[in-house]
Amino acid sequence: MAPQLDLALKHAPLRAPAPLFERGKPASGPRSQPGFMKLLGALAFAFLLALPFIDASAYTISIATSALIYVMLCMGLNVVVGYAGLLDLGYIAFFAVGAYVSGILTTVLDWPMWAAVPATILACVLAGIIIGGPTLRLRSDYLAIVTLGFGEIIRITANNLDVTGGPSGIHGIPTWSFGDWSFRDGLDLFGLHFSGTVLFYYFVAIVVATVGIVGVGRLARGRMGRAWKAVRDDEDAAEAMGINTYFTKISAYIIGAVWAGLAGQLMATHLTAISPNSFHFLYSALILMAVVLGGMGSTPGVIIGGLFVSLAPELLREFAEWRYLIFGVLLVVVMIFRPAGLWPATAVLPWLRRHKPQAWPATAPLESLGGDDRAEVGPAAGARPAPADPRAQDPADDGEVRR
Amino acid sequence: MSALLEVRDLHLRFGGVKAVDGLSFDVHEGEILAVIGPNGAGKTSAFNCISGFYRPTSGTIDFEGRSIMRVLPSTITRRGMARTFQNLRLFKEMTVLDNVKTAMHANLREGFFDTLLHTPRYRRAEEACAREAQGWLDFVGFEGDEQLYVTQLPYGEQRRVEIARALATSPKLLLLDEPAAGLNYGEKQGLMRLIRKIRDLGVGIVLIEHDMGLVMDLAERIVVLNYGKEIADGTPAQIKADPVVIEAYLGAEDDEALDDTTLTGMVATVDDEVPPSGDAGGRSA
Repeated sequence: MAPQLDLALKHAPLRAPAPLFERGKPASGPRSQPGFMKLLGALAFAFLLALPFIDASAYTISIATSALIYVMLCMGLNVVVGYAGLLDLGYIAFFAVGAYVSGILTTVLDWPMWAAVPATILACVLAGIIIGGPTLRLRSDYLAIVTLGFGEIIRITANNLDVTGGPSGIHGIPTWSFGDWSFRDGLDLFGLHFSGTVLFYYFVAIVVATVGIVGVGRLARGRMGRAWKAVRDDEDAAEAMGINTYFTKISAYIIGAVWAGLAGQLMATHLTAISPNSFHFLYSALILMAVVLGGMGSTPGVIIGGLFVSLAPELLREFAEWRYLIFGVLLVVVMIFRPAGLWPATAVLPWLRRHKPQAWPATAPLESLGGDDRAEVGPAAGARPAPADPRAQDPADDGEVRR
Repeated sequence: MSALLEVRDLHLRFGGVKAVDGLSFDVHEGEILAVIGPNGAGKTSAFNCISGFYRPTSGTIDFEGRSIMRVLPSTITRRGMARTFQNLRLFKEMTVLDNVKTAMHANLREGFFDTLLHTPRYRRAEEACAREAQGWLDFVGFEGDEQLYVTQLPYGEQRRVEIARALATSPKLLLLDEPAAGLNYGEKQGLMRLIRKIRDLGVGIVLIEHDMGLVMDLAERIVVLNYGKEIADGTPAQIKADPVVIEAYLGAEDDEALDDTTLTGMVATVDDEVPPSGDAGGRSA
């Protein structure tokens, strides 16, 4: 174990004593929490793949694609708000950055869409640093107000620049193409015809959303995710644990920005046109609502929240203008009855096998509490300078105080 | 033996209030030093200066011979000084095991892409991290379920977890801010054993505590603060006999107050958490 430890840990002058007994592997299989979540994820993925075979109408695929875009956005905001606890009211700004960067590169500079992906990521990292750098020194309410301001700045800038097309925005954003062949041409395979929208849905939207969901889940469980949650729960204590809270917050901000930027690129391709009106404050609030509604810091919750926010207006379409009222009432009801969200991060599913702590073996406690007074006075006292030991100097007094 | 921590002439002022007013002391490896004083004496303020949360007005603080003035608290922790907080500050929405794992942040070889791609480095780091965290939990005698959220634990267990978390940063010096506050008699005995066990690992310990019985029994040296000023520094026996200390705790009294029986009175006054079965009352009789 020792060489393994050296590879895993940097300088660590003080190593923990070995655990008293082996805990065994954490539970796996479909009836354990992580196993069940994997199964659920696989089922959802299979459903996404099967969807065009169930209903390949342009309407369904279009709604499914925008639902995936919303989920992607929510996953990104979940890092910022749910894990790192930074209230960001201007999150849609990064969505705008991604959409405009990819839109400008593909229309003005005629880049293929795939080549715009790294450029979008880079632009969002920079945007995250530029916006996050000065603002993340603030805490809570102040941060919310400043991010709100930045969100509006990005939108108004896009509204006034020539390169962004001013108020009318950018039109005719191409779909993905490789050389001469584009998604628009469609594809015939095994006697089935796949239209451009289905191809985009299959090969871009599903891939990006899956990578986004799995990636955030993995980051949240790793070293960086623990630091995010520590900063969220108690910033000072996190700092005292050797976590640089400023860099941790910036990292969460950058991850959130990149996720939003990729979603923005998806949206630009999906709608083929973007304008400053697509990046109103309302959308920041809507995405934030989805995260809070689903359950902050919970992957399944946030997916549900994202789906709800994107699909509910469509499903309630028959109620015409009443639908936003119904939408609002539904939200209030959910927040009253499930204040921690529909699927909170701390949820323990009742039908899963419960985690059972292993009892200490009968001999263990004695060993662990071995610093029994008598045992300690012997060798340890000899090693220390005698006058430093109160008992050595004044045994009667000591007994009196302690007994 | 050069000192692990050297504090010289430390001053901290909040406007006109002198929270710390000329504090100097040394801590050596494997030594237990207690800082005591009446409420508002500036003990926690001094701790916050040393661990980097407050910026002292003047003075020097050297850790292992290097200045740690104007250094971020996280950097100080990385250099080997850990602390606990007076009012338990665990990460409330994380499990016990994750709380301790979080403290290993700075020492873990796990990069961004390792986490994203689940490389062998990630698996190795996470495995070692979980094992070390479990080792520390066993070391502090945490017998509960490490998968519980910390808020589900009783208070005494939360104290243990906080000490395990501080140890997981791999410190050379551990600052404990009132670790016995709110513990019952039995838990205090366990805490004393634990602190000695940590000392035996070679870790220097600085302890703020109000429980005189515990301090007198545990500390090898005691620094007494009053109104931000250091009024005494010495072994427990010297401190007990020091008229200035007795005056600080009990106020000036007639000559009788300065004889040896006062000391037991002092213990009884300050330490109101020893249960009646303790000898606080019996002794003064």
